[in-house]
Amino acid sequence: MGKKITIPFGSQHVALPEPIRFVFQTENEKIVDVDVDVGYVHRGIEKACMTKFKYMQVGYVVARVCGLCAISHTLAYVTAVERLMGIEVPKRALYLRILVSELDRIHSHLLAMGHLAEVAGYENLFMHTFRDRELVMELQELVTGNRIQFDYACIGGVNRDLTPEVEKELREKLKTLKEKVLWLKDVYENDYSIKYRWKGVGVITKEMAKELNVVGPPARASGLATDVRNEFDYLPFKEVGYRMVVRDEGDVYARNMVRAEETVNSIEMLFNVLDGMPEGDIKVNVKGLPEGESFVRIEAPRGELFYYVRGNKKMVLERLRIRVPTFANIPVMRELFVGMEYADVPAVVISFDPCLSCTAR
Amino acid sequence: MKLNGFRKKSPWILHYNTGSCNGCDVEILACLGPKYDLERFGILNRGNPKQSDILLVTGPVTKRTRDRLIRLYMEMPEPKVVVAIGACACSGGVFRGMYNVGNGVNNFIPVDVYVPGCAARPESIIDGVVKALEILEKKKKDMELPHRCKELKRESSRRKLLAECTRRYHEGR
Ligand code: SF4
Repeated sequence: MGKKITIPFGSQHVALPEPIRFVFQTENEKIVDVDVDVGYVHRGIEKACMTKFKYMQVGYVVARVCGLCAISHTLAYVTAVERLMGIEVPKRALYLRILVSELDRIHSHLLAMGHLAEVAGYENLFMHTFRDRELVMELQELVTGNRIQFDYACIGGVNRDLTPEVEKELREKLKTLKEKVLWLKDVYENDYSIKYRWKGVGVITKEMAKELNVVGPPARASGLATDVRNEFDYLPFKEVGYRMVVRDEGDVYARNMVRAEETVNSIEMLFNVLDGMPEGDIKVNVKGLPEGESFVRIEAPRGELFYYVRGNKKMVLERLRIRVPTFANIPVMRELFVGMEYADVPAVVISFDPCLSCTAR
Repeated sequence: MKLNGFRKKSPWILHYNTGSCNGCDVEILACLGPKYDLERFGILNRGNPKQSDILLVTGPVTKRTRDRLIRLYMEMPEPKVVVAIGACACSGGVFRGMYNVGNGVNNFIPVDVYVPGCAARPESIIDGVVKALEILEKKKKDMELPHRCKELKRESSRRKLLAECTRRYHEGR
């Protein structure tokens, strides 16, 4: 029996870019209890969307919930309002939306992988991953005009068209990107010391995942086949060669590999999108005001994102509810920590790729 | 003297997120990555306020991060520079006037450099940090002025005055 020691982790910490606080009770380096506090970055966006902004503007405000999955938030809101008002979106706009949302997924996954490598002490691998991530950022800038926080989707379509020159450059850069990502995947998969560091750490079993409702890459890494892209057709993913990645180890290594394989799949999908891009308009005019309620599920890079919208024929919405992927993953994180070695904490926290801006809103 | 030389060659940064959307934080990470490479100015990102010279702040200041921000600022040794990154940190940005935010970092701690943009581009972040290095240099010069001696003199004269007063008191005047 050792002495109990309390270790605070956060809210300001080197391994965390965002303020979150864990208070661990440890006993001989083993964690016996943990307390999680996620409310540091609460800004009150939901309330502001229901009082300050008109329903046409809300799409641009909810993009600021999170900079990493900005497009997912906008897309979810925009889809919800379109379903509410019965707007038929042109096919070309849908394809452009897939293009941007998959680019966003690639950059988010590469960031997560690089960050995980850095936390485990592989500075060089972090640098390599970030160098290749810059390629995606350049592509995003080409297509949308900004590196992060591109306000691309709007109610009724998208804001910017794809020109033939951009498409040509996109194809060339995607080819380089694919080679680089395949190389990175090879390193993450086969490196000897990485395997020792990550295999068997922080295991989520399938039953645990089912019971605690895990979503996103952590769920798919522990054998649970859940992916909103497969279950809810908000964009025609099946036409462009989507395939689900499932592994069954459930440890840090598997979560990382799910991300790597999804990145490769996303790049393949991007090629298909460019090949099958339909001609036509990118936007339809929107008339009328939203009335009634609707909800939408979207696969953000971190998992299932849920939006609920209710309007009553006014310019300002009556209710907007956002439920984000990290929020669904916090219970399993807590469960996992109890009984674990303290030294594994940073790796496990980062392997979930938590996004506190989303959670606290 | 030696310490000042090191400070010029290798300033350390501390990064704190006071409720931003992660967009600007990711751009800071990209700056530290190989393409933009902020480290070529000798800059290292360390999490310890007691060893840092430059404080990078992103985001509108929410109620709960406010105290932490002020505490981090107080814990940093003089001379120090504060850089506000992104529209949010400059003025509140899109979050201006929401019920839980305090509209910009300069309402709570003094800010030296403002970097605009949503999200602030890595190029402009680098410009901002280079500007901060100049300001750091200037502040360091200011530090070398003999504040200490002046204060000591004043104190000694006050002590003299006090002694004078007590003497007169004892004399019964
Ligand atoms: S300025 Fe824009 S990108 Fe930066 S934190 Fe604010 S909302 Fe996010």
